[in-house]
Amino acid sequence: MESKTFWECNKAYILTALGLGVVGFVFVGFLMIMDWGYLIQYTMHALIGDTSGVLTAPASELEQMVNAAFGPAYNSVAPEIIRASNERQEYIWYVFFAEIMIFVFLYIKNGRVTPTITRPNDTVQVLTSFQRAVIWLNIGMISILVLTGFNITWGLRSEGGDIPRILREFHELTGLAWIGVWLVFTVIAAKDMKGWRKNSTFRHFLPGSFKPSKRVIWFFYAAMGAALCFSGAMIITLHPSSLTHADVIQFRRVLLYLHFGASVLIMFFILDFVYASAVSVKGYLKGLWSGNYPREYLEQVAPDVLEDLKKAGRA
Amino acid sequence: MSRMKFYCDDYRCIDCNGCVVACKEAHEIPVGVNRRRVITINEGIEGKQKSLSVACMHCSDAPCQKVCPTDCFYIRTDGIVLHDKDKCIGCGYCLYACPFGAPQFGHEGIFGVKGVMDKCTFCAGGPDETLSENEFEHYGQNRIAEGKIPMCASMCSTKALIAGDASEVDKIYEYRTAKRGDNTSLKPYGWEAYNNGK
Repeated sequence: MESKTFWECNKAYILTALGLGVVGFVFVGFLMIMDWGYLIQYTMHALIGDTSGVLTAPASELEQMVNAAFGPAYNSVAPEIIRASNERQEYIWYVFFAEIMIFVFLYIKNGRVTPTITRPNDTVQVLTSFQRAVIWLNIGMISILVLTGFNITWGLRSEGGDIPRILREFHELTGLAWIGVWLVFTVIAAKDMKGWRKNSTFRHFLPGSFKPSKRVIWFFYAAMGAALCFSGAMIITLHPSSLTHADVIQFRRVLLYLHFGASVLIMFFILDFVYASAVSVKGYLKGLWSGNYPREYLEQVAPDVLEDLKKAGRA
Repeated sequence: MSRMKFYCDDYRCIDCNGCVVACKEAHEIPVGVNRRRVITINEGIEGKQKSLSVACMHCSDAPCQKVCPTDCFYIRTDGIVLHDKDKCIGCGYCLYACPFGAPQFGHEGIFGVKGVMDKCTFCAGGPDETLSENEFEHYGQNRIAEGKIPMCASMCSTKALIAGDASEVDKIYEYRTAKRGDNTSLKPYGWEAYNNGK
């Protein structure tokens, strides 16, 4: 049996960590105005239940009044929200451009896989109707969330009004509904969680095994989705009145960072899904809709899926 | 050029909340929305209890205006910061940016979702026709157009809360501090003191 080196086994994880490390370093070091010391200490305080943002006892009566009236440490988080608002509208295009360029590069490098199908009627059911319902519900909701989210980001272009306001409300309601769909999608997409694969539950998970590169994508989609669900739900739920404003405003500012950051990152994994399903392999999208794939397709493109289905007696 | 400002004297404020009630009553503000609030620290501790009435401070360089994605804020020539509710989409960015917690959002609709923003107008109405029914419905009374000062300041029983042209407010502040024996030229005050103390 051929033994693989550590590098060969973990290349996808190492490259992803390096890529995100470089992006993170540039983003944190050059593009953000943030008191990172405060943010780290604040996060520790928030984890033990103190979300007020008052990390040390006020040294003066004035500081005590500021904490009580407005919330503490305005300069540590708020300037970024202010600055980013203008720049988000102007520069976010570059992020998407860079992400799309990665997939253009992949397409030029790998081309489009076109399996040879001689027996189109010899098909195997890969996706159950429940799985397809969840996948397409996820696709529909993500599309709504992206469009209604951009409706807020690029409000200067719409100049506000009733329709953009209703779309913003729709963003919040769809986001709340997506929490359940994201959870089920995350579970059914967890293909090679061997420990979970009991006979009775196997049909809920997708057949086949992940390559490390695909596992990274699934992991980040699940993680960024979790961050979006948590921050979005908390932003909607933690609705400060004039009297509770100082207690929660710092927490809401941090949650907004998390929401913005996760939404930018998850776009990469959404685009990867679009690339994988619509571009990289001919016939994949059709199967995603019907649930059935030609046996020859699976033999040529996804033999691991066919093998799993045979083991489960479904092929 | 004149700039309209509020000033609340924490030596005089007695936490009666008269300003809050006057504002809500005058502008028919819905439940759950307070354009003005009173903050008290060291409550019940003799000699240390202090209160401050806070609303929109009508900043000269207003952060809410900078972050609004639909550009619904505008600053009048007299410095009053107003916003257009017909443009506002209720995203809440102004709430994150405001250092004073002035923007308020009520719940509306069958799902109780966040509505459009409401805040202190310095009793100067909004972009709708001056003194019209629409203006009152959206923004409340336009007392400035009637030549009056904001309702909160006019109702303050101890005159802790004063409002008007910044230079006039400044004179009252100087008079009061001098009378109390504070040497304001040597003692840093406000944000300056806060930042120096850090």
